[in-house]
Amino acid sequence: MQAIEYFEVECPEPLGAEYYKQITNDVLLDHNLIRVINKLHIYVDPGVPIFVAVGVLHKITRLVRVRDFAAVNPVAGKIMLVLANETYLAPMLRIFLERFGQDHVEQADRFTVVLRDVSVDAREVEEIIVADPSESVYKDLIYAFKCIAPEGFRIRREQYTKDKFFFVASEDALTDEVDALVRSKFARMGEVMA
Amino acid sequence: MIFVPVTYRGGVYRHNEVVDLIEDIGGYIVQKQVIASDVVLLCFVPKDDVEQLRSFAKPLGGEVIDSPLVGTEIAVVIPSLEIHHLPHPACDIAEYLRRLGAKSNMVGLARGVGKRIAALNDEERDVINEHDIAVYVLGNFEKCIEHKMPILRRGIEVPIVLCGAPDKEALQRITDPPVEGYVGNVGRFMHRTKESDELAKMDEIIAEITKVLDTKRVSIAKDPISVSPARLMDLIKEHVPEIHEVTSPTPLTVQMNGLRVKLPYDTFAGQIRSIEIEDGVKIGDVSDLNPSRMRDYILIKIRPFSETNIVV
Repeated sequence: MQAIEYFEVECPEPLGAEYYKQITNDVLLDHNLIRVINKLHIYVDPGVPIFVAVGVLHKITRLVRVRDFAAVNPVAGKIMLVLANETYLAPMLRIFLERFGQDHVEQADRFTVVLRDVSVDAREVEEIIVADPSESVYKDLIYAFKCIAPEGFRIRREQYTKDKFFFVASEDALTDEVDALVRSKFARMGEVMA
Repeated sequence: MIFVPVTYRGGVYRHNEVVDLIEDIGGYIVQKQVIASDVVLLCFVPKDDVEQLRSFAKPLGGEVIDSPLVGTEIAVVIPSLEIHHLPHPACDIAEYLRRLGAKSNMVGLARGVGKRIAALNDEERDVINEHDIAVYVLGNFEKCIEHKMPILRRGIEVPIVLCGAPDKEALQRITDPPVEGYVGNVGRFMHRTKESDELAKMDEIIAEITKVLDTKRVSIAKDPISVSPARLMDLIKEHVPEIHEVTSPTPLTVQMNGLRVKLPYDTFAGQIRSIEIEDGVKIGDVSDLNPSRMRDYILIKIRPFSETNIVV
């Protein structure tokens, strides 16, 4: 698992910074986002009030295939899939139904799916792409930072590019100065916002 | 007779004998919980008979623990009921209070969030004032607590224990006028309290609440209430059979100087007022029955001796 290379919380109140570092760590761990983030800088100033999170992401290249969560076994004219977990069951069934048709796909129980009279072999079934985790990373990140940011900071602005993101929140209207603030926080990490 | 709040913990086996003994010595059972094969009785027992109960419980494998929070209703006030405060730390604190015998209610404010926009409405204020004590669980920044605490405590008449991330001295410095109790280094966090230092912090909150409750008990003792709330509870159980149909865990919630009856006010207030306590003295003579701001419950506040000239 890749670790965060840079992680700082900046705040005029040192104790507040300490608490926010802990909160950020807990939330990112809970949402399985630690492995996604490479660099993260958070700036909170309750005096203004403003919350800024800027970060750089790891490159997400991995696609989820059937073989990642299911054992695919050819058994006498049919292909039996035994699932290790249900996380990707729904998207997998949707793909199977579209591709093979309802008559050829049967879900025997929670963890077993049987494909009957299909034109593909077990090897091909194993390679079917079920999900692309990078599609949901943006949504997950924004949700996580909504949890991390102080409550009541309901005016938000966020931006997400291929490998960088920022999230700004406040309870007052955001001014143009925010852009300069975001750029300066990226500079603290030795990065430039695209 | 001076009553002491205690908790009995033991097995189901022969626990009826413990219940009988508590009733025989003139004690009151505030709440009975049967969890699998364990029984927990939250009760008030005459001070002189605590040792008798203790020695009776010993051969049964039970234990009797002093529980200063039994018979108190505590409001845990948090800025909102969102994920920022729930389940940690607000539920952790409320649950810890419950384990030690208090009846804790979580009060999530509608507009308690933020600094500039924080507010307390009249319903929230009244609900908090119906409790014995309010525990305010605020956030991580000194500046925010300093700014919003005067707003969130406006109109609150019950003692307040303030919890926040700044240390105790900082909380004392920024709170003007001072509140009754402070617990520092308990701010907003997003993980379960299970480490030993976090549990020690929970114990610190309990100690602070107990200290504040003791002060309140002393002030009540100076002008004692006309009847014990636990006695009223027993009387209502006896005379209002509908209370046994209420599915709430505590249909009758005992407070330090009152009682919350979880029955509709319009239907039952008159009936409860006319229940005779002793020698023609009725509940209505020694207490005020008001509609609670919490659902349509009845809130009984027992009047002190100085107002009624009666102690029953």
